Amino acid sequence: MDQIDKLAADVPLLPAATRDAAPARTRRWHIAVFLAPALLVYTALMIVPLADTLRLSLFRSVEHAPVFVGLDNFRVLLTDPRWSLHFWAAFRHNLYFFAFHILLQNPVGIALAALLSLPRLRGQAFYRTAFFLPTMLSFVIVGFTWKLILSPLWGVAPALLGSVGLRGWFHPWLGQEATALTTLALISVWQYVGIPMMLIYAAMLAIPGELIEAAELDGITGFAQFRKIKLPLIWPTVGICSILTFVGNFNAFDLIYTINGANAGPNFATDLLGTFLFRTFFGNQLQLGDPNMGATIATMMFLIILAGVAAYLFGIQTRMRRYAL
Amino acid sequence: MGSLALSAIRKSFGAVDVLKGVDLDVAAGEFVVFVGPSGCGKSTLLRIIAGLDEQSAGDVRIDGRLMNGVPPARRGIAMVFQSYALYPHLTVAKNMSLALSQEGVAAADIRRRVETASALLRLDALLDRRPAELSGGQRQRVAIGRAIVRQPSLFLFDEPLSNLDAALRVGTRIEIAKLHRQLGATMVYVTHDQVEAMTLADRIVVMHGGVVEQVGRPLELYARPANLFVAGFIGSPTMNFIGGDAAARASAATIGVRPEHLVVAREGAWTGAVSHAERLGADTMLYVDVPNVDVLGAGMLTTRILGDIDYDVGDRVGLTPQEGKVYRFDGGGNSIAA
Repeated sequence: MDQIDKLAADVPLLPAATRDAAPARTRRWHIAVFLAPALLVYTALMIVPLADTLRLSLFRSVEHAPVFVGLDNFRVLLTDPRWSLHFWAAFRHNLYFFAFHILLQNPVGIALAALLSLPRLRGQAFYRTAFFLPTMLSFVIVGFTWKLILSPLWGVAPALLGSVGLRGWFHPWLGQEATALTTLALISVWQYVGIPMMLIYAAMLAIPGELIEAAELDGITGFAQFRKIKLPLIWPTVGICSILTFVGNFNAFDLIYTINGANAGPNFATDLLGTFLFRTFFGNQLQLGDPNMGATIATMMFLIILAGVAAYLFGIQTRMRRYAL
Repeated sequence: MGSLALSAIRKSFGAVDVLKGVDLDVAAGEFVVFVGPSGCGKSTLLRIIAGLDEQSAGDVRIDGRLMNGVPPARRGIAMVFQSYALYPHLTVAKNMSLALSQEGVAAADIRRRVETASALLRLDALLDRRPAELSGGQRQRVAIGRAIVRQPSLFLFDEPLSNLDAALRVGTRIEIAKLHRQLGATMVYVTHDQVEAMTLADRIVVMHGGVVEQVGRPLELYARPANLFVAGFIGSPTMNFIGGDAAARASAATIGVRPEHLVVAREGAWTGAVSHAERLGADTMLYVDVPNVDVLGAGMLTTRILGDIDYDVGDRVGLTPQEGKVYRFDGGGNSIAA
């Protein structure tokens, strides 16, 4: 007893406080243990490559030896005309590509979801599968198929248009600078419209039946019902779709590469940051690969997406309310 | 204002007949309750009146106007749902006014009607809140308010108290009864709870298996049930049904005695041992095994005595029905007039 009293006098903390602290420390350990596997995998596959890319963008290869140049690569990329012309063009194309998706893919997705959730629609499962099918196809197949369809030499588009007397309307859309990017954006929308459609369709199915019946009784039917009741309840899902589209668009590469190649022709008219990065990093035809400038472009892409997602999370998400149904 | 007439309403879902010909007249200002076990068709009937479901055959008339095929919003009705079905993205005030603004009612008129309803239902402090910020009872009052502002000729209630806890249920029940007196509107109310039916209704419609078993004032159903089903459904605990010799002596196929009409003494018409006792303070339920009486169903007679009577399991008691309180039923289950 004496000894314990003495110990208590020595320790400035109250005995109760030490007792409380002990289990808290144990709890922290088991949180770490459970987080460890995910953290390890994520670190190995995401954080390390990302950090290494950031590191790479701060160096330049001089006579096969890396030299630290600070942010000079970024200055070159953004201001030196040899790089900046391509970079800003790709950035503009990316913005156009994204705007096209937001203004077309989301409304079409919402419209398709609204049609699919009509209670009297027959063949729902068929339409749902048909609209979602392109999303499940490989971009290689999609790209190659559309290239075949739209080819002025052996494509079916001229013949199809000709069969309804509109042969004159056909243009080699993929091969003309003015229309190539829009055509690619349309193909991409066609391929990926299934994702917003499915997410929004699920959100619409989650609206309780009695709520819709209450609206019917209140005289809110048809399009007014969609606008005043359903749309406000699916906005959060539309927000998620938009941010997924944003990230997807600013990382886009595959469709352009399969259809118009790494040079993103004609005359770089369909060049996105993704194809620009690919050419720079790995080299293409006569262009030699430059991992440092490639990493610089990749870092810029990372920063652009980070800024976009952060703007969404803090600017839009916080103001948007998810309602308990 | 607000009379309702149903004639020969039938409803089938595929091969299943849910309603097998329902006729009913509801006078303006009346409070009518549809009551029955689950699956009896009472909710389907209400939905047909509302226009949410279309009847397979028969006519619905509201205020004398034929309503077949008329969309819900143009029937001059308002409905309160079991789940309240409030618009989660709108404030209480908007929830109540949405239908009015859709109709094109003038803004000043809308404000006046919302204010009147919110004063009546004590919603003034809640007008700017959203449904998620309200308690169950408050949501229920908003749902009723949303119905009131439309000034319908007919109110429809679909089990509106089922989602409330017991204490709140009693309070809201009283409020609905008061509301009916204040508004004087016609109300049709669906419930499976006979206490709600007995306390609220001017007239009760007892439904079973898609047909109306009996329509009448609450105490009329209690005192003069038309058949075995109504006799068993109205009253708690359930009426005791006795067949065999005891019934034959009364020249009936079955006789029924309500638990509260059995007198307990040392000796009686039927004697047996108490097999279970429930003591609630204000009254006591005894479940008595009577081996030589043909009790239908549970095989035990239930009796309800006022006050806390100290009987133990195993005690022998005698049970005698009160004079004139024995219900007689024929072989088809219909009441035999006394």
